[in-house]
Amino acid sequence: MKRVTIMAQVDPEICRGCRVCEKVCPVYAIHVTDRKAKVTEPDCRGCANCADRCPFHAITMVKREEPFTVGVDVSKFDREKIDALCAKAHFNPQQVLCYCVGVRAEEVAAAILDGADTPDKISSRTGIRTGCTIECIQPILRLLEAAGIEAKPDPNGWQWYGETVTAWTMPEEVKAKYASHGFYFDEDRKLLDQVAATGVED
Amino acid sequence: MSNQNLKHAPIMPIAPKPSQYGIDPSLVKKRVAELPGMCSLQLTELFPELPPVIYPGGEDALDKLYQVAMEELRKVDMSFIKEDQSVNILASHHGFTLLGGQPYAVLIKATRDAIIEKTGCRDVRLRAGVGMRFRETEEYIKRYGLDEYFGPGKTRGVAPVDEGIPIETEVGTLYGIKAVYDADWIVHCHHTDVREVHFHRQVDKAVKPFGMSYARIETRSTYHQNLGPRAANFTARAIFESKFVQSKFAFASFLNVGPHGVIGVDADNDLYAVNDRATFIGCQLYGKVMTLFGKIDECIAVLDFPCPVPYVFSAGVIYANFTGANRDLYDMEDTPLPPYTWYTEAFYKRDGKPILDSIPPLNPAIKMCVHNYAWTGYPSAFFSDHVPTVVVGREQADLFDMEPMNIEYMSHAVVAKTTEGAMDFAYKVTGTDKVIIFDGAMGGLNCSESLADLLIAKAPEVSKEVDEVLMPKWFRQRGVDISILDKLEHK
Repeated sequence: MKRVTIMAQVDPEICRGCRVCEKVCPVYAIHVTDRKAKVTEPDCRGCANCADRCPFHAITMVKREEPFTVGVDVSKFDREKIDALCAKAHFNPQQVLCYCVGVRAEEVAAAILDGADTPDKISSRTGIRTGCTIECIQPILRLLEAAGIEAKPDPNGWQWYGETVTAWTMPEEVKAKYASHGFYFDEDRKLLDQVAATGVED
Repeated sequence: MSNQNLKHAPIMPIAPKPSQYGIDPSLVKKRVAELPGMCSLQLTELFPELPPVIYPGGEDALDKLYQVAMEELRKVDMSFIKEDQSVNILASHHGFTLLGGQPYAVLIKATRDAIIEKTGCRDVRLRAGVGMRFRETEEYIKRYGLDEYFGPGKTRGVAPVDEGIPIETEVGTLYGIKAVYDADWIVHCHHTDVREVHFHRQVDKAVKPFGMSYARIETRSTYHQNLGPRAANFTARAIFESKFVQSKFAFASFLNVGPHGVIGVDADNDLYAVNDRATFIGCQLYGKVMTLFGKIDECIAVLDFPCPVPYVFSAGVIYANFTGANRDLYDMEDTPLPPYTWYTEAFYKRDGKPILDSIPPLNPAIKMCVHNYAWTGYPSAFFSDHVPTVVVGREQADLFDMEPMNIEYMSHAVVAKTTEGAMDFAYKVTGTDKVIIFDGAMGGLNCSESLADLLIAKAPEVSKEVDEVLMPKWFRQRGVDISILDKLEHK
C-alpha cells in the first residue's frame, strides 16, 4: 500500500524526446509522442525515476493536489492461496518486500491472485518498487514465478531484465568453493526458511 | 592523562552542502556541536595505536596525498593498457562523503594522471556509481571539478536503472550497468571506509561495488533479497570473478581510510590482496570504535551531516551501525541478523513485532534521535518508527514528505522549530545528558562531556578486547590470514 503524494511533470520546452524516461518508468506512466514526453497523471506512482534520469532535467516532481492511496486489500482474497504462493516463493506472508513503501509479500501475492501478471501491474496496484525502484524487483519476479507466470522483460525498456540466483538455487559447488571466505550460504538459507515457515497470527 | 586533558573544544562539523536531497544550507541555523556542554575527543588519544594520517593535516595535506597516490600508482603494472585504448575509472558516491570529499577526488585525479603518464592512453573516463540518489555523483563530479579535470564528455554519473548489460557468472546471469563497462579497461577506484557493516559484514568489502554501485537493480535486489544477510556480498564476488569483468579489470586504486583520517593509498593489480588489507583496517581500526560505541549505556543520538539518515558519521561509524551497536556486527556466527539491516527490517510483522523472537531490537541505548540535519534519498522510516525522533524545522519535514523513499518518515517523527528546542525536549524526555553527534567531525568525534567521560574510561579495555579476543575471531570467520598485518606494514 502506498500513499501517492507526488507526480512527475514535464517541461515541454526542455524535453527533447530522448525516451530515457519511458525506459526507466516502472509503471509505464510516461510516454513520448511527437518528440515530447507526457505523463499519464493517474498512472504515475511518484517514484521520480524519470526526473532523476532525464539527461536534460526536463522533469520535476510536484505535489499532487489530490493525493490518493493504492493497495490491494488482502482480506478479500483466499488466505490459503496467499500463504501457499508466499511459501512457494520462500517468503513469510507478512515480511516486508519493499523497504521504501512497506509493501508485504501477502499484498503482492493478493495482487497476483487479482490478475496482476507483470511487475509493472503489481507496482501500479500495490505501490511496490515505486520508492527507490531498485531492491524489490527479485521478490516480485519470484512471486510471479511461484504463481506459474512467466514474465518477459520489455525489449525496448530498461525496467527489468531477469530473475537471478537465490539461496535455494545457489549451486552446491559454488557454495563449497567459497564457504571458507566468510560466506554463510547454508546458514542463511536455513534462516530464511525459518522466517518463511514461522506462522503469524492474522 | 586526566579526562579533562582528553576533552577538547568541539571540532567544526562538516558544513551543510547544497543538494537536491537536503534542505538549503542557509536553513541550517545551528549545529549541535555549538551548543553548551559539548566537547570533542581525538581518536588518536582514545586509541594511541592508530596509525598516523596524511589527511586531515596542514594546508598541503591534499598535495601530499596526491604525491603518495602517484608514488603508489607508479608501482602498478599497466603495461597491458595501450595508447589507443580506453579506460573507465570506476568510482562510487560514498567516497565523496569521506572527510569532506576532497581526498577521494584527489585519488581519482591521481589515478587518471598515473594512467596517462604510464601508458600514454588519453581516453580515460570517469564512471561514478550511486546508491539510491541517482543524481548524487553528478553533483559531486561538478563540485570537485572532475568534469573539467577529465575533459568534455569524459565523466558520467551512472545509476542502477540505466541501460544494463548481462554478465554470465558461476551462479547464472547477473546484470551490470552498461556504461560502467563501455571501455577496454576498468579501474576500480574505491576506499577502505567500512560504512555499511550491517550489509557487507566486512566480507569482500573491497569487491562490493561490483554488486552494488556498478550494478543494475536485478543484481542489487539479489544482494538484498535473495541470498540472506551473510551470503549477500557473494553477489559482488560472482560478478567480479566473471570472465567478462576479469577481461576488463586492470587494477584497483584505494584510499586507505581509517576512522580518524586518510592513512595512505593502496594500488594493486590483485583486488583480493587489497581486500585482505582492507579487512584488517575494517576490523581493527573501525572495529575498535564500533565496539566502543557498543559500550554506551544511554544517549541522545544527533544527526547533523549532509548525508541520508543512516549514513551520517561519527568517528567513522555511520548512524545505521550505531543502531546496531548493541550487537557485534562483525560476528558472523552469533549475529546472523544485525538489529538493523534490510533483511532484519523485512522481518517485522504488521503489528510491529519481529517474526522471529531472536531478532534483536535496535540499540536500546539510543533513547532519542535529534535529526538536526540529514538528507533524504534512502528509505529511513524504519529508524523513525523504532527510535523516538525529533526533526528540526518544518522545511526538513516537508522535504521528507515529498520524497518517494520516505513518505512515511514523518509519520513517526515530531517537529521542533529550533535545534535548541529539539535538544531541550530530548534532555527532558530521556533524562540523559549523554549526547553523541553524527556530524562528520574529522579526526575525532563531538559529544557531550558526560559521554566523553564514559568513552575515555572504556577505550583502553575495548582496545585490548578487539586486539586479543575479537579480531582473531573475526579473521577466522572470514578465512583471512593474520599475516596480512605484515604486508600492510610494507604498504
